[in-house]
Amino acid sequence: MRLGDFVTDYRAGEAVLRTPVQRVWFAAFLAFLVALPFVGGQYITFLGCLVGIHIIATAGLNITTGFTGLISIGHAVLLGVGAYTVAWMANNGVPFWLAIPSGALLAGAVGIVIGIPSLRIKGLYLAVATLAAQFVLSYIFREWESVTGGVRGLSVPPAQIGGFAFDSDFRVYFLIMPIAVVAVWASRNLFRTRVGRAFVAIRDRDLSAEVIGIDIVRYKLMSFALGALYAGLAGGLWAYFFRSITPESFPLQLGIFYLAAIIVGGLGSTLGSILGAIFMTLVPEVLRAMVNLAAIVSPAAVVYVSPLREIVFGALIVGFLIFEPHGLAEIWRRIRRFFALWPFRS
Amino acid sequence: MPILTRRQTLLTGTAAAGMLSAPWIARAQGADDIVIGASSPVTGVFSFVGVDLNAAKQDYVTWRNEQGGIDGRRLRFVWEDSAYRTNESVAIFRRIMAQEDPPLYYGDSTGWAKAVEAELTRRATTMSSAPSFSSDLADPEGVPYYFMSAPTYEAMIGVLLRHIREQASSGSPRVALVYSDTEFGRDPIAAARVMAEELGIEIVAEVVTRPGGVDVSPEVVTLRRARPEYVIFHGYVLAPIPEFIQQLQEARVDAQFMGTVWTMDKQTINQMGEVGDGFLGVVPYRYSYESDGHPAMEQMWEVARRTRPDADYLSIYYVHMWFTMMIFEEITRRALAAGDTLDGPSLKAALESIEDWDTGGFVGRPVSMASHSIPIGRVYQADAASGFLNPVSDWIDMS
Repeated sequence: MRLGDFVTDYRAGEAVLRTPVQRVWFAAFLAFLVALPFVGGQYITFLGCLVGIHIIATAGLNITTGFTGLISIGHAVLLGVGAYTVAWMANNGVPFWLAIPSGALLAGAVGIVIGIPSLRIKGLYLAVATLAAQFVLSYIFREWESVTGGVRGLSVPPAQIGGFAFDSDFRVYFLIMPIAVVAVWASRNLFRTRVGRAFVAIRDRDLSAEVIGIDIVRYKLMSFALGALYAGLAGGLWAYFFRSITPESFPLQLGIFYLAAIIVGGLGSTLGSILGAIFMTLVPEVLRAMVNLAAIVSPAAVVYVSPLREIVFGALIVGFLIFEPHGLAEIWRRIRRFFALWPFRS
Repeated sequence: MPILTRRQTLLTGTAAAGMLSAPWIARAQGADDIVIGASSPVTGVFSFVGVDLNAAKQDYVTWRNEQGGIDGRRLRFVWEDSAYRTNESVAIFRRIMAQEDPPLYYGDSTGWAKAVEAELTRRATTMSSAPSFSSDLADPEGVPYYFMSAPTYEAMIGVLLRHIREQASSGSPRVALVYSDTEFGRDPIAAARVMAEELGIEIVAEVVTRPGGVDVSPEVVTLRRARPEYVIFHGYVLAPIPEFIQQLQEARVDAQFMGTVWTMDKQTINQMGEVGDGFLGVVPYRYSYESDGHPAMEQMWEVARRTRPDADYLSIYYVHMWFTMMIFEEITRRALAAGDTLDGPSLKAALESIEDWDTGGFVGRPVSMASHSIPIGRVYQADAASGFLNPVSDWIDMS
């Protein structure tokens, strides 16, 4: 049980990690992230990389949709913009430390263009407008052969620094995870600033936000740009991770995946972005492991049991929407409250 | 009220950990086994192919082990259902590679092959294949640890164009290309234009469609204006080919309709009904009903009948997979005979040493690998009355 967590000034009250216990846990979590590829083995490291990329992309969508209330279905193609930028630059000899930020910035710029309809429309109409971006950019990925390689896509050389190549899951993990941690940290801090609060004000009531002096045009476009920048960052890392991209790498389903991640994790919550991305990535893996159990009993059963994964996965998402609309972040908060009072029951 | 007590939390965690570790424990068997890993699409949109591919692998492994394995070493088949999703099939690949480090792996798509290509090259432990005949993958330098047990899509179109050239008595045959707007569909098109020009064939129309799209009326108008003598479909399994044929026949376009291997399964052709009558297509292997007098095919039937006693047909997918397993076995035997450990380079060397190999009837002439593919195919024609496809050309070698 924690005692004596008294906040004595505003600065301490606004801190991300308010108590020594939180700081110790956070340090332990960082140590866990560093140790993971050493103790987890190749497969866990692979999943760690995938989760890291998805967390960055989900955090980006949460900025646009969760915090600002601007629905975007075209998030996946923004990953594509980052990935193709990085792939093209890497194939032209640009080092990764320049290619990744360039991919993110270009995606951010594209995000502003995609966000322009949000100045006039919102809700379902905006969703359809962003859907158009999905189709337009997918078309560009397929047809602009000299840059994107057309339907055949592009191979990407590994990221390199000096003579060190990030050419295995183990190595690329140490590229992805630090960027993911910094990106999430930046996202968390964003909502302690005027900009972040302006986003939330727009989400809660854009008319009222304008009345109190928030420049709606600027902040809506900024929200789209930031969300897209995160997507571009994730896309750039995706390119270095898979080292092969095609237009089919960024389908509409991936955009739906990220929407589901922010809903399951918790709309308007940085922690929700993390938990949602972890859930959406790992639950299918857990379900497949369960199917493997069925395979031990009867190999033929897999054909019948395997499709159930989709039903169970879908049911889990629907279950969250019905029974815990605030997402995994809320469940996590309840668990924390329980252990904060442990061994006394609340 | 807390949502879980501490005891409940611990019990739940322990149970989950136990469940997740069980398959791994079960797999920790036979260190000397030769493991064949696979991401198998037994569910999802490609399951009509994946189920037969998986069955053929299982049947082959069972049969080979009954015969004493390969040089006394047992084969072990480790697979998981990928549902034909690239991300899932890559995840399965990484997991099986981490746990089993198999020397042989069979994926599920071009997307899979491209996504794991860098990892396979880096590891250099495994030779792979998949039901993808993408021309990009027939590249021993760039994709050293991938092979295809068939011609590339480019070579398949080449077989059809050669057949057209041989059939046309004089002049420039007029050909239309109809393909889906996918990587699969577009793969051979640029090469097809070049080959057509070399053969004196005129490409009078190119029509790109959405995959699986059924409203083809605008495209039919384009084709009707072009008046082709031959229409080659690529990048589809079934839809929208029957719709195209029906509407073109109604428009009195007197053309010969053709396709590539994934359209050419007997059951798929039969699904076309009457419009499928006379449909031509390129196939890399004999059909399962042509097995008489071909020992390897008869062997395949003997094994397959154990689990399908009433079957009178094995799909082209089953035949493809059985034949691919034969190549897996052949390169493993050659690598072991050379005294090598089973890894990427030794299996690649063994693969590239295949020359004038007798396939026991699967392919109608001795097989030599060319750019990690087998550039031989034969043109078959559908006969709606009998429901069978009959050969109308000799085996055409595109190497």
